[in-house]
Amino acid sequence: MSPKAAEKFFRSESRYRMLVENSCDIVFSLDMDGNIAYVSPAWQKILGHEPSEVIGHNFVEFVNPEDIAGIQTMVAAVIRTNSMQEATYRVNHVDGSWRWHTARVNRHRDDDGVQTIFGTAHDATERLHIEELMTQSEKMAMISGMAAGMAHEINNPLGAILQHAQNIERRVSADIPANVKAAAEVGVSLDLVHAYMQKRGIFDFIGHIRTAGIKASGIISNMLQFSRRSDAGAELVDLSAFLDKVLELAGTDYDMKKKYDFHRIELQRLYADNLPPVLLVVAGMEQVLLNIIKNAAQALTGGELPHQPRITVRTQVAEGMAAIEIEDNGSGMDEKTRQRIFEPFFTTKEIGVGTGLGLSVAYEIITKGHHGLIDVRSKLGRGSCFTIKLPLQGRA
Amino acid sequence: MTNSAITVLLVDDDDMIRECVTAYLEDEGFSVYAYATAEQALESIAAISPVVCISDMRLPGMNGEDFIVKAHTLSPVTRYMLHTGMLYSLSDELRFIGMKDDDVMLKPIHNLSKLVENIKHIAVVGRF
Ligand SMILES: Nc1ncnc2c1ncn2[C@@H]1O[C@H](COP(=O)(O)OP(=O)(O)OP(=O)(O)O)[C@@H](O)[C@H]1O
Ligand SMILES: [Mg+2]
Repeated sequence: MSPKAAEKFFRSESRYRMLVENSCDIVFSLDMDGNIAYVSPAWQKILGHEPSEVIGHNFVEFVNPEDIAGIQTMVAAVIRTNSMQEATYRVNHVDGSWRWHTARVNRHRDDDGVQTIFGTAHDATERLHIEELMTQSEKMAMISGMAAGMAHEINNPLGAILQHAQNIERRVSADIPANVKAAAEVGVSLDLVHAYMQKRGIFDFIGHIRTAGIKASGIISNMLQFSRRSDAGAELVDLSAFLDKVLELAGTDYDMKKKYDFHRIELQRLYADNLPPVLLVVAGMEQVLLNIIKNAAQALTGGELPHQPRITVRTQVAEGMAAIEIEDNGSGMDEKTRQRIFEPFFTTKEIGVGTGLGLSVAYEIITKGHHGLIDVRSKLGRGSCFTIKLPLQGRA
Repeated sequence: MTNSAITVLLVDDDDMIRECVTAYLEDEGFSVYAYATAEQALESIAAISPVVCISDMRLPGMNGEDFIVKAHTLSPVTRYMLHTGMLYSLSDELRFIGMKDDDVMLKPIHNLSKLVENIKHIAVVGRF
């Protein structure tokens, strides 16, 4: 089309209308109070509402309360600077979920002086999600390096604590000839030294040093998972049978039975029946799923939850990946918590209940050990859903 | 073989680890030589010709892996073990000189009786 022809084409209003109505982006106009005067058909395609549910309503009725201030700031800036402005906010889909939208708006004044806000908006949910996953993986890469380095530095002093405690015990034993000889040289009886230490509980103290050291070493070895990258030991596994086994394991776990009333929780299994075998490092994946199930059980224990507590385990095949979803209808979490749960030592639980390592280890095992993805959706007061995606053979 | 017949050479740059492992092994009756660097250990290993040599992985200067490869040429009768804080899988070279997965012990060793057990085991296997 020549420039001249184009100009003629665009001058006609009906053609403008055609462009607007066929646009993938939402085109909208609002009065200066924010009431919606017009939305293009893309609104219904993207968000699902009938035009009658939208026209005449105030725009902010559809916006997440946390994002309304941002929109007001944008409109104020449009009016002040008389230029195009951009904002990103969450709008309500007809199914109740929130979608991230990015809008560009400007002000228009017609010949009679009537002012209108008009703009376009598109769905940015997917892009923002991918950005979040990328920041997440950079953050985790940095933390992994730190954790592995720290774990290594701590192992030597920890070894010294554990082993010297053991040396102390042995240096008062009469079984070792050198002890007997040294005791005779300084003129004490080893039996009496032994009896004294027993009476004053010193052997118990030494035992406690060792128990504490072994516990610390357990935490460190969890942290060292961060430097484990190989998928050594992976085998092809039938996912349904594997999940059944893990659920059974969860049911026999002492903590789960005693502290979290696991038997009270309804277990729903929705397994896909067309699942090909999946390549798993069995011990690692067991640890991941047990952590997630334990978290779910914990989220179903706190406070008085009126409903029937339930954990749903779902599998499906999508886009060359096998997906495992573990959903609970427990406490859920707010957005700030959700963004941090994969960080090592991030916990909202009381000291002694959680160390905050469960999900960070899960993250490493899934992403490094299985070249998979792990992600979470959650709604405060409603529940959480963890999704693990694992590459299927030949398509990784 | 009695413990006193087993000479152990230990390489670790951490003073505390050298001290506590040496104390334990000596209490068990082994003869122990301990060094802080691979270079120092290499100067003596041929003369000592220990039955078992236990090396840390991360050392200043030469690392544990390179140390064992060199030490093996100087004292081929010695059986080698790695004592390391990092998860580690044996290199082909170390496998070639006869090391097995069990010869890698992770720090911290919770109970040194396990180390003693492993030393006695490879000392005996080494005779065949
Ligand atoms: N299903 C869930 N529902 C609600 N919150 C959850 C859920 N799963 C995890 N969280 C939140 O994520 C945080 C981190 O979980 P993570 O498993 O890493 O550590 P933890 O459970 O606190 O401690 P640990 O697993 O080491 O015992 C939890 O403290 C909790 O706030
Ligand atoms: Mg947990």
